[in-house]
Amino acid sequence: MGQHIMSDAVISVRNLQVEFVTRRATLRAIDGVSFDIAKGEVLGVVGESGAGKSVTGAAIIGLIEPPGRISGGEILLNGRRIDNLPPDEMRKIRGRKVAMIFQDPLTSLNPLFRVGEQLIETIRTHLPMNERQARDRAIELLTEVGIPAPEKRIDGYPHEFSGGMRQRVVIALALCAEPDFIVADEPTTALDVSVQAQIISLIKKLGRERGMAVMLVTHDMGVIAETADRVAVMYAGRVAEIGPVRDVVQRPMHPYAKGLMGAIPTLEAATDRLVQIPGSMPRLSSIPRGCAFNPRCGEAFARCFVDQPVPLPVQGRHVACHLYETMEAVR
Amino acid sequence: MSHRAAAPQPRLKLTWKERVAIWRDSDLWLSFKASPVAIMSTAVTLLIVIAAIFADVLAPQDAFDPVALNLLDGFAHPMERGAGSNMLFVMGSDEQGRDIFSALFYGTRLSLLVGVASVIFSMVLGIGLGLLAGYLGGKIEMLIMRVADIQLSFPAILIALLIFGVARGLIPPQQYETTAVFVIIIAIGLSNWAQYARTVRASTLVERNKEYVQAARLMGISGFGIMARHVLPNVMGPVLVIATINLALAIIEEATLSFLGVGLPITQPSLGTLIRSGQKFLLSGEWWILFFPAMMLVILALAINLLGDWLRDALNPKLR
Amino acid sequence: MSPRPYVEVTDLRKVFDVSKPWLNRVIERSPKQFLKAVDGVSFDIKKGETFALVGESGSGKSTVAKMVVGLLGVSGGEVTIDGISMTDPAQRAQRARLRRKMQMIFQDPYASLNPRWRVDRIIAEPIRAFNVIEGEANIVARVGELLTLVGLHPDDGRKFPHEFSGGQRQRVAIARALASNADFIVCDEPTSALDVSVQAQILNLMRDLQEKFGLTYLFISHNLAVVRHMATRIGVMYLGRLVEVSDAKEMFSHPRHPYTRMLLDAVPDLAMSGRARIPVAGEIPNPINPPSGCTFHPRCPLANERCRAENPLPIKGVACHAVVEGRTLLIPVPA
Repeated sequence: MGQHIMSDAVISVRNLQVEFVTRRATLRAIDGVSFDIAKGEVLGVVGESGAGKSVTGAAIIGLIEPPGRISGGEILLNGRRIDNLPPDEMRKIRGRKVAMIFQDPLTSLNPLFRVGEQLIETIRTHLPMNERQARDRAIELLTEVGIPAPEKRIDGYPHEFSGGMRQRVVIALALCAEPDFIVADEPTTALDVSVQAQIISLIKKLGRERGMAVMLVTHDMGVIAETADRVAVMYAGRVAEIGPVRDVVQRPMHPYAKGLMGAIPTLEAATDRLVQIPGSMPRLSSIPRGCAFNPRCGEAFARCFVDQPVPLPVQGRHVACHLYETMEAVR
Repeated sequence: MSHRAAAPQPRLKLTWKERVAIWRDSDLWLSFKASPVAIMSTAVTLLIVIAAIFADVLAPQDAFDPVALNLLDGFAHPMERGAGSNMLFVMGSDEQGRDIFSALFYGTRLSLLVGVASVIFSMVLGIGLGLLAGYLGGKIEMLIMRVADIQLSFPAILIALLIFGVARGLIPPQQYETTAVFVIIIAIGLSNWAQYARTVRASTLVERNKEYVQAARLMGISGFGIMARHVLPNVMGPVLVIATINLALAIIEEATLSFLGVGLPITQPSLGTLIRSGQKFLLSGEWWILFFPAMMLVILALAINLLGDWLRDALNPKLR
Repeated sequence: MSPRPYVEVTDLRKVFDVSKPWLNRVIERSPKQFLKAVDGVSFDIKKGETFALVGESGSGKSTVAKMVVGLLGVSGGEVTIDGISMTDPAQRAQRARLRRKMQMIFQDPYASLNPRWRVDRIIAEPIRAFNVIEGEANIVARVGELLTLVGLHPDDGRKFPHEFSGGQRQRVAIARALASNADFIVCDEPTSALDVSVQAQILNLMRDLQEKFGLTYLFISHNLAVVRHMATRIGVMYLGRLVEVSDAKEMFSHPRHPYTRMLLDAVPDLAMSGRARIPVAGEIPNPINPPSGCTFHPRCPLANERCRAENPLPIKGVACHAVVEGRTLLIPVPA
């Protein structure tokens, strides 16, 4: 796929395809997505609704339910294929090697059990520990995610925690088995700005300190800019541009990424008009031929309506756009 | 303020072709096409409804006109020719020489009529009270919902019996026969409204807080206008499902009442009346007089129930 | 003499009864509980400007919006629009006339349009309700005009809301708000349910329409960047109180209230300028049992005894003892 394979990649996604079979047609939600995430690295996956970012996360963690299915490509965890494992084996890996943080902390915690019980149970499912050791471990984890007075709070019920504290508990829960890889799906979307900032810096810190690979799925470019090392901009189930966060955020090259960056109002620059991309993301049932972005692109030319571009290296990143292919060929 | 009460005319009339095209692309149609059960039960229901409507034309014998009966034809076995008229009795005949097959047409017609009318009656009552309770809230809601709760804690058939009894006390005996159909419709209708009221109230509470209702309030549209034009169309989905399933229940309820002898008289027989008159011959070996009306009732109720089940699943966005 | 402000909000209050049901209260011997959702909010809006209310969840900003348009009764205080009181029962008749000049755009474009109505009927509803235009043909023409105005095609009127994307639905909602020739529009988080590229389209459209028709906006949002882009003046709310009101430019270059400062610092740094920021601490307390004195004091780096005891009143647009007393932290302010 033209992307270099990193030797220290924890997760490698190769040409992933996910389809949903509906009454009307088979819809391709993910079409040829490839990326690697290294140890200790945070990959931000950003895109608007319908871009396929959450589906990508669910596919990696083996949570695609019928009518959806992985119809092509492969997913490697530490060099071993996990996309074709039987459900039982995948369940063992999930939680032990890979974990997930969801948008709404309320749905990931069982309201009927104390926070400590849920942590201890998860720890003991995956690690050979007795009750006492698991409890100590749980307190350690709660301390690590910044919950004050963890010895006391461990016996509280989820509803006794505020939104931000609950999300910290969910993160602690994900860390229980010391996974190598975490998918965080919109972990700050349900939170207030001031709490969001705290959770962002927590995820960033944990990734660094524990050397985990983190896939951070979000629609918020600001969160990506704060947290991620690299960023993949997705559009209509494909990666439009992927590269170091500073490059992509400050000097985006793909016309969609450019439009997206210009469309975000910022505190820094007061502009009269925001850049606006005409139209909206196509529905899965009507993704145009060639480049999926062609109807909204100001720079589209004949080829864009025929050939689907693949991500090719340009200036330290990969861009899936015909505009840059010739440029790179000259070089 | 005089805003027009009438619904605005559609701008450009859709042609029939367009309407069919829209329908053929709808989720409901696609789900219908994919469900053999739905197709079968619709076909059976339609067949029965058509047979009932055109009973006068389709039935071989005018089964409840004494002039058309020949006593010599009595107790003909199924597929036997009558001794008097030499007519073929596909499902046999009763003691008066009445063709059971023909009697089914007329019996089904009355059963369906009572079922549909009582469902409409309880639907109108239930939707109205449910909307009122959900939209107005407060004391009115309390009153309506408590009455509904009390009613739901009695078996429907008991309430129908009670209402029937009260009606009997009010109506002079010589008018029993002419009013029987109306009495039974009202009795069954009144015993079933509470379920609609509950469902409609619950959906109204949800819709009332939606922003399109707030937008309408900002335009100064009256509470009645909002309920009728905004809330009502949006709470009808679950109501239709209940109505379909209740239709089967109402038909069975009517049959039960008639079987108990408090429903329709023998001169206006429904399926229940036919079953009642058939059961006295069961032990003497003339099984067909009971069997065919009972089978008809089962098939009709089953077809309508299956249709209701499918409709519920098809309208449930979570199952799509 | 400066003209009278178009919208005047004085000492607005809203108290919700959040008590448990009567039977529970009797059994548990617990008293009635009240939530002060809005607690003495005052501001005014000049004709043609955009006044924004920002705050996090539970700040009461949406409650203020609903009271201003009259969707929610007030527990105290007064709202006056164009010289007509929204709260005085005696002015009912005048208020009915005011209604058509005042509309609202809601947060959720999926819930704000009746799913069973075609779009042309939705847009025509206020025209018919207020008798703005007579005659079916004229109404049809006007609806087409409105659809064009918000960037849709007149033929789109025949479709149902579910056939549109979120952004297009929000355009329909804007067309409906303009249908009665409203000049004051309350926008309650109008873009927070939309994707960024669509948000840009809607924000640009709203600014264009404001310029074209001289609209006055009350803009409710939790997103400071959006507010910065739209507002001429901003009010910051915290737990039902207005803690700071100032000009938009001033607010972002010289935030005065410690909470405003914290909010600004919490916004992700998209330019990656590496500007110095104080790390955000704590979370919003339970509004049923708010802290004493200044409700922000448990999270405030400048809080002292007085802040814990005494609720600060707004002085020159800021409700903060520390600002009045000149106590400050030495933190670099974003340029």
